[in-house]
Formats: sequence, C-alpha cells, structure tokens
Amino acid sequence: MDELLGVAARTVAFALEAGATEADATVTTAQRFSTEARAATVAKLEQSTGHALTVRAFVDGAKATLSTTDLSTDSVRALVREIVESARFVERDPLAGIPLTVEQPTPGDALEIYFAEVAARDPAQKIADAQAMEAATRAYDARIDNSSGSRVSDASITVALANSNGFAGAYRATSVLRATSPIARDGANRRNASYGSAARGYADLESVESIAREAARRAVEMCGARKPGTMRLPVIFERDVAAAVLGDVFGALSAANVANGNSFLVGRIGDRIGSDHVTILDDGLLRRGLGTSPFDAEGTPTRTTTVFERGVLRTYLYDTYYGRKLGSASTGNAAGGSIGPNNFYLAPGTGTFDELIASTARGILVLDTIGFSTESVTGTYSRGARGMMIENGEPTYAIDEFTIAGHLPTMLAAIDAVASDLRFDGAIVSPSFRVAEMTVSGQ
Amino acid sequence: MTDDHLDAAAYARILRAALGAGDYADVFYERRLTSSFRLQDGRVHEAGRSVTQGVGIRVLTGEQAGYAYSDDLSLDALLRTARVAALIAKDGTASTRTVSLDAPRETSGIYGDDTGAALPPTSRTYADLVARADVAARAFDPRVKQVTAFVTDEIQDVVIATSDGCFVRDRRPLVTLGVQCVAHGAAHGSGFFGDGGRTGISYFAQHTPEEIAREAARIAVVNCDAVDAPAGDMPVVVGAGSGGVLLHEAVGHGLEGDFNRQGTSLYSGRVGERVASELVTIYDDGNLPLERGSLAVDDEGVAGQHKVLVERGVLRGYLQDRLNGALMGGASTGSGRRQSFRSMPQPRMCNTYMPAGESTFEEIVGSVRRGLYAKSFQGGQVEISKGDFVFMLGEGYLIEDGKLTAPVRGATLVGNGPDVMTRVVAVGNDARLAARYYTCGKGGQYVPVGVGMPTVKIASVTVGGQDLG
Repeated sequence: MDELLGVAARTVAFALEAGATEADATVTTAQRFSTEARAATVAKLEQSTGHALTVRAFVDGAKATLSTTDLSTDSVRALVREIVESARFVERDPLAGIPLTVEQPTPGDALEIYFAEVAARDPAQKIADAQAMEAATRAYDARIDNSSGSRVSDASITVALANSNGFAGAYRATSVLRATSPIARDGANRRNASYGSAARGYADLESVESIAREAARRAVEMCGARKPGTMRLPVIFERDVAAAVLGDVFGALSAANVANGNSFLVGRIGDRIGSDHVTILDDGLLRRGLGTSPFDAEGTPTRTTTVFERGVLRTYLYDTYYGRKLGSASTGNAAGGSIGPNNFYLAPGTGTFDELIASTARGILVLDTIGFSTESVTGTYSRGARGMMIENGEPTYAIDEFTIAGHLPTMLAAIDAVASDLRFDGAIVSPSFRVAEMTVSGQ
Repeated sequence: MTDDHLDAAAYARILRAALGAGDYADVFYERRLTSSFRLQDGRVHEAGRSVTQGVGIRVLTGEQAGYAYSDDLSLDALLRTARVAALIAKDGTASTRTVSLDAPRETSGIYGDDTGAALPPTSRTYADLVARADVAARAFDPRVKQVTAFVTDEIQDVVIATSDGCFVRDRRPLVTLGVQCVAHGAAHGSGFFGDGGRTGISYFAQHTPEEIAREAARIAVVNCDAVDAPAGDMPVVVGAGSGGVLLHEAVGHGLEGDFNRQGTSLYSGRVGERVASELVTIYDDGNLPLERGSLAVDDEGVAGQHKVLVERGVLRGYLQDRLNGALMGGASTGSGRRQSFRSMPQPRMCNTYMPAGESTFEEIVGSVRRGLYAKSFQGGQVEISKGDFVFMLGEGYLIEDGKLTAPVRGATLVGNGPDVMTRVVAVGNDARLAARYYTCGKGGQYVPVGVGMPTVKIASVTVGGQDLG
C-alpha cells in the first residue's frame, strides 16, 4: 500500500508542479480471477492483475481529469501536464475543488472488507465449485438440460488516494461471487434463471448447493408461464428486483441529478414522499458490506446517512462539489467522477417473504425485470417483467411477457408492506416489498 | 508513443509461450486515447483525458478458453501473462507447431478522416463544440432550462497476432457529441440526442453541434406535454432509423454464435426456417462508412463483412467469432468484438438494419385506428432463451384514426422476438440508419453499434404505459 500511496503522492506533486492549484490522485490495483463451467467443461479461466491511476487537477476552480493504465513515471508526468494545460478551456467554478479539510477515516481493518483467504484459495477449488453448481442444477429436475454457465469469480483490490491538502489513505478489499444460470426445457420454450451470491469473504457467501437449488427452482418455476391480462393490481417486488427499483431511487437522490434538474425529488427535502414503511439508508461503515469503504473517491470518510425516514425525504447524497452547490456537506458518496452508493438499502420490515405473499389476496409477484430506462425528471417507471400470479395469498401460476408501470413517487407512497429478507450482496440492496397498486400491461 | 517495442519476433515469442498445449492462441494489443469535454449549467465544466493500454492473451483448446491480460508491456511481463493464459490447456500435449509472423498488415478504407484524432485536449476545438450546443439548445425554446453536453474523441490502435499467422494493425477513430435537455412546461420533460461516428472531430464542421442540440431541445419540449402512455396490446408503428433497436433486440442477439453453439438461444438450430414475416429482411454489416459498429477488422483480426441474417422472413445465418464459428463447422463472420484488452472477444453485432419496403409513411400511419407511433428508442434488452425483449420509447405519439395526436411519456414495450417479427405487416420505403450514438452491452462488455430500419408496422405489441384507456 505504501508503494501505491507513493505513486499517488508523486502524481499530486506533478500536478502542482504543472500549475494546478489543487489536485488528487487515486491508484488502484486489482487482482482478478474468474472461471465459468458449462456442464462438466471448464469453459473459461481468466486471471489477471490490472492497474489504474485517476487524477483530478484544478486550476483556480477549472477542472481537468485523467485516467490511465500506463503508470510509468514519465508518461504520468507528461499526461498530467497535458490535463493541467487543458484546464484553461474550462470555466473557473469557485465551488470546484477537493475537500478543504482532511478528516481521519475509520481504519479499513475495522470494517472487515479484506479477507486474505480470497487470494489464497486454490484455483482448482474454485473450478470445482463452478462444476458442482452445474451438476447440482441439472440434478435438481430433469427439465434442466442446459445452462448459460456457472461462474466463480473473485477480486482483491488495493486503493490509495492522496490529495494536495495532505490527505493520504489506502485500503484493501476483497470480493467473491458464485452464480449459476440454468435453463429448463418447457415444451418448445426455454426458461432461464440466474441466481448468485456475493460477499467480501467466504464466510458470508451462500453455499454452492444452496445457490444451485435456488437457481434451478427459479428456472423450473417459470415453466408453463403465460401472459397475464391488462389491469391494476398490487405488485410484490422480490428482493433482487426490489433492489433495482432502489437503484432508480438512488439516481433521483444523487445531488448531481438534483442540481441538473434531472430528478423528481428536486425541492422536496422535508416532504413526505414515501409511506411509513419507507426508511432508506446509505451506510459506508457496514461491517463486511460490499459497498463499504473507509473513505470515498475524494478521501471523505464514509458515514451512515438516513435518506428517507418513515417516508420523509431527509437529504440527498452529495460529493464535495454538489454539496457546496446545494449548501450541504459531502455525505461521502463521491465515486469516480459521479455520485455513487455505499451500502444503500431499504430498512427491512418484520414479516417473512412468505407472510408477505400470504397477506396478498390477489396480486403479482415480480421475480425478474428487463429494461432500464426510468425517466428521472418525472420518475416514470416501466419495465418488462416475469413472475407469478398470486391468488388468495398463494402463488398460483407463472406469468411472463408483460410490463409493470407507475411513477416512482406514487410507488414509494404506495409501499404498504416490507419483508425481512434483506441480504447485503451488493451496494444497492432491498428486502422484498409490495406496492399497493400498479399498472400491469399484458393481453 | 507506439507499440513499436513489440516487433514481429516478440509477438511470435508470446504466441509460442501461450500456445503450449492449446489449439490456438491470439494476442490483442490496444492503446486507446480519449479526449473529452463536458458542459453543464451554461459553462464548460470539465476536460478529460484517458489512456487505456495493455495486451490480452487468449488460448483456445476445444471449447475451452484461457485468458490473461497485462498493462505492463515489458516482454517479461507478457511472457508471464501468456503462461497464465495457457493454464487452460495444461492437460494437453505440448504443441510442436511453429508460429511465424512477418510485418503486420495495415488496414485501410472504411473510416473517416482521423487526422489529429484524439489529440490532447489542449485546443479550443472541444470546448467550443459543447459551448455552441448549449447556446443553440437554450435559443431553441425558452422552456429549455437545463442543458448538459459532452464531446468525446477517441482513437483506438490495435494489433492482433494469432498462432495461425494473422498479423494486422487497425487504427479506429470514434467521435460522439451528445446533448441532454430538461424543459419546464405543463410538466417537466427531458430529451437526449447525439451524433458522431468513426471519423475525426472535423465531422462536427458539417454536422453541427447546433443541429444536435436543437433536436435534444425539441424532444424535451415535446415531452413537457406528454401524456401517460397507454397500456395493453395495440398496433405499433416503429419509426425509421432508431427503430432498428427492435431488430437488434428481437433478432440480432439471438443469432450470436455463442448462444447458438450452446443451444441456449430460441433461434438455435433454426437456420432455413421461417422466423419472421415475409416482409422482414435483416442485415448486419461491419463495413458501412462512419457507422459506430464498423470495423476494418474485428478484434480477432477478421475483416468486417456484410451478413444476411434474415431474408424475406427466413433465418439465413448466425454471427460468429473464431471460437464459435469453428466449433459449429464454419468460419468467423468478422463478428468477434471486445470492450478492451481486459476482455475476451464475443460474437457481437456491428450495424444491424432492414432494407426499404414499399409502403409510404402516410399509408402506414393512416392504416392505424388506435395505436402508438414509436418515433425513437432509448434502447432495449433481450433474454435470449425464450426470446422476450423490451424496447424503451424515447419519443412517441398516440395514433388516433390514422393521425398522430398527443405525445406520450417514456414507456417500455414488451414482446417475444419471433412472435413480434411475424406480426410485421408493413415496411416503409424510408429506410435509414439511426443517429450514431448507440452502445450495446453483453456479458458486462460495451461496444459501439449502429442500427437502422424503415418505418415498420407491427399488428400488435404490448405497450407498458399506465393509461388503461
């Protein structure tokens, strides 16, 4: 880590020497492993180490950035000189710059985001895990006769950041992933499903057997799916698709989008937007969290921020620049040139997922969505979907080839139940929840 | 800076180290320079520069692939990287094949003028382009309140060397200028538009930032008055140009060779069968001038080609890279593409389009009593096993009694590929390629693509709006 910090500090010095008034530099190394099995075959095996350097240089508030994979000293010095020169075509913005004060972040070790076991694990074991998921999904049901593969991947990264106000910090982090994508034969159709688990270390990772069983169950469950009618109904978002909805909410909370008028939450701080069930947090300090780090991309220590409290919007999420612009302190959400989540999640409720289903007389359970555009100015939401029809509190038959649509502000206000099934397997996560009414468009 | 420290002998040594007991090895060198400027809030906000350079080494044995990359370009580091890639073939018998390379062949022909491409952002040119876009967007209509604009100028130099003797160098320019506007009218509306292509920054002398900005502003202003999209099945008229997103999602992805070799696509084993209405012909072409998906050679060194995917409704062929083409008993169709040296190539589309039919736009719209005119799309997505896909409206209008009426808010349209393509009942005489700003994602890898189509009428598609009518 000291070596990387040295590169970062030297890069900052190059920027100042070239005429920058403020600068920061981040060096990242990543050691990555990935394998994919299909049936008994090891289809892919990838192992590499990569490096990257990013620099922000400010000349009296005019900002220029650099990202490069070429870390040789001469090249970095020349590139830094170029970007400092390019800053003269950028308008001076008195708000632009690095954090004024240096705060000491929580030491990375206390956050438990690095596990030495990840880099030490034998590749043969990881390959065997991928093959085992393939075998287990196919053994689950005779209809599962193909797959898009089973993957095991991991990464060990080191991040070092230095800036011209004297910040110098570094941390290490690991991540591991197991996922499988079986395909079930359903007459003339093929039904795919994907399920996986991700964590900082192996202790929090779901077992090969449980991942395979869950993925296989999902593929088989979709057999016989039909297209529903067009109607308004309660919609339950199962936790992974619920997390995708939270992703759209995060976009609207990004102070960059708010400042650019590109959010349905502009001017709404203090307003009741969601129902009582809507408490949303951004937590950079969650132990073992995949979104956890001691400091953000500008060296601001991360923290725990309550964004929505029982439906009331308390704050947007800021980096230094947009904090200054909107009159607030950074919330530690700077992320490589934009604003990103730490561990961003909807607080879980008390009942189980099964109880959530059982309390729904008639509705739709959404298990997967496709599509990605949400009109953030108005929060207009529309997705392709598949899932299950719920009647009398029970899933009855599989449905697909339909859409669900609503407006995000209306949807947040209509969340009338949240389950307890939250798991932290990504930076944006959610328990399953139910929206009292949405438009389902099918036949 | 160049890659000249790696000569033919060095590439051959790396390939020999990689080949080991494998059937085939290739080396992909890349150096990509990008200059960018971004404007927001009425001011030039940020200048950017990016350098991506490294080498990816791949070894194939049967249907297995080993891969490793390095951003350290010393020969020692690359030989180590080659040996890691070779681990996939550790159980085989060491090859006795020789690898010999001469001088790399230089490609020529299909790109625009790249003189001065991706110079360091130390000239006024880039900043002026985004500043002009801002002025034009605001002048278009006083309701335009927020404008963000970006310009990127990229040059990607690649060298591809393979164990079967292919050795080629390609220099690929790519420029993009995009404008996003938010307008405040009856409600708020947003609009995006972009243009560019495989040429240099001088492209924007003829295709001005003002034109691009006015189109983004126009869409934002239209969307201020948009009503909720309807819900349910209805006739949809897909607009010329960006309607090509439909072909890309409903058909194109499902024809990629990896899915078909593995039997995971709904189009697997169906070459020669009818998969669409007789009116439907679909091409994918890697050679169209300026288009974002065009490549003199793909990322495996194979020349770009014109491919017939569907001809008068009948499936004619798949999109292949070297691995999948060979395993299916054929050849690459020049469709092997990758995001960067950090990724293995995959079979991908280049520029996917449908040629003109015979109907006029007026005839097509006039034939719809109640439906939707989907003028442009933001993008789409497909699940290739069952073939269900979505495409997301950018700008759309209700059709009532054969006439375009109210604009509608963003909505997702959902359908099943072969199902929807069978319901194509009219094809316009107005074929054109879409504005050049689309990017396609697959397996976490993003590559620039082109799409195109004439106006097309689909008898019925499920529209995912909120208005039950």
